[in-house]
Amino acid sequence: MTTSKRLRYLPISEVVAGMVLGAPLTIAEHGVTNFALPAGLTLSDTNIRQIDLRHGEFACIEEDDTRSDAERNAEWAAAAARLDRIFSTADRTRPAVAGLYEAVLAYRKL
Amino acid sequence: MTTHLTEHEITERVALLPAFPSVVNDILSTLDDDNATLGALTVLVARDPLITARILSIANAAALAGRNPRELRDMQVALSMIGLSRVREIVLGISLAEFSRESRMSNYFWEHSVAVGVAAQELARRAHFPVDYALVGGLLHDIGQLWMARFYPLEFQMVRMAVAAGEEILAAERRYFGLDHCDVGRVLGTFWNLPASVVAAIEHHHDAHPPADKVVSATHVAEAIANALDLSRQDEARVTVLSESACALLGLDWSEDMNYLFGKIEARTRYLCQIFA
Repeated sequence: MTTSKRLRYLPISEVVAGMVLGAPLTIAEHGVTNFALPAGLTLSDTNIRQIDLRHGEFACIEEDDTRSDAERNAEWAAAAARLDRIFSTADRTRPAVAGLYEAVLAYRKL
Repeated sequence: MTTHLTEHEITERVALLPAFPSVVNDILSTLDDDNATLGALTVLVARDPLITARILSIANAAALAGRNPRELRDMQVALSMIGLSRVREIVLGISLAEFSRESRMSNYFWEHSVAVGVAAQELARRAHFPVDYALVGGLLHDIGQLWMARFYPLEFQMVRMAVAAGEEILAAERRYFGLDHCDVGRVLGTFWNLPASVVAAIEHHHDAHPPADKVVSATHVAEAIANALDLSRQDEARVTVLSESACALLGLDWSEDMNYLFGKIEARTRYLCQIFA
């Protein structure tokens, strides 16, 4: 049985050694990339010090999704209900409003 | 119990607020100056002991991460380690955080302002226009509320209760104040000589059809994203309008994968709330 994965975006202050990058981490200065780590890399203390040194602010982390189907569905339902409340006074027939709503809903399902 | 605010009253009472940090205008003016140097930024930073201490602290933390055992005391070395764009971001954030704190505004107000500032900054980065204007537009977009809460706390609380009961915020503010926080913010931004695009962002961030200006559009869309992502975790967070033309001006196509943008905004907001605190 394979364990499914999920992505989380964390401030660098919450990233610790042993976490796995879920997306490439790049840091640019003046539009030029001067530091890059690949997706799938297991972060070491040295990597985290290198990110700190270059003032990296966040990382996308991939982790095992240990939730059961029931737990996952319950979390999604709660997120959708909250989103419905946030958009309760908006006209969701308008394309931009509907687009933002759907994009956030997709993000909550990561 | 309606108060009819006037521009005269708003500007007259500004003197009772803490001094608006002049470094904000100074930094924004250096963005348009091709000759602005690290030396000029060093002079600006050195004027404020609090900002000086924070910059040295951040540079020293980075130096320690690089296992450099020497403590940094030279500001120009510290600034060159951090980089011009990061220093501008830190100085703008810390000085406006201090202004908000001295004005006795709630943490919620400041966290929401940081969230909109970060979202506007990321939208500016995507659309390739100066991120500092967008950051300041976002950080100051609700500055009118700060004034209202400080000088009319009872009426401000009544507005909050009306919004919690489902009334639209601008309508509730006009009912209690005669003006809304966008009007009050425009008067304050003009009084403080903020750049025209930042004043326009403060004035029009709730408009259904905001003017075709990138800083205005970034602030307008950033407010919607910050609320949609529930970044301030306040029950009354609402998305009410989102302009199609503002999204188009920023090159946003909502059918694209927005997960990375949203994740970056969410993580950076948490990070910068710590840095600016």
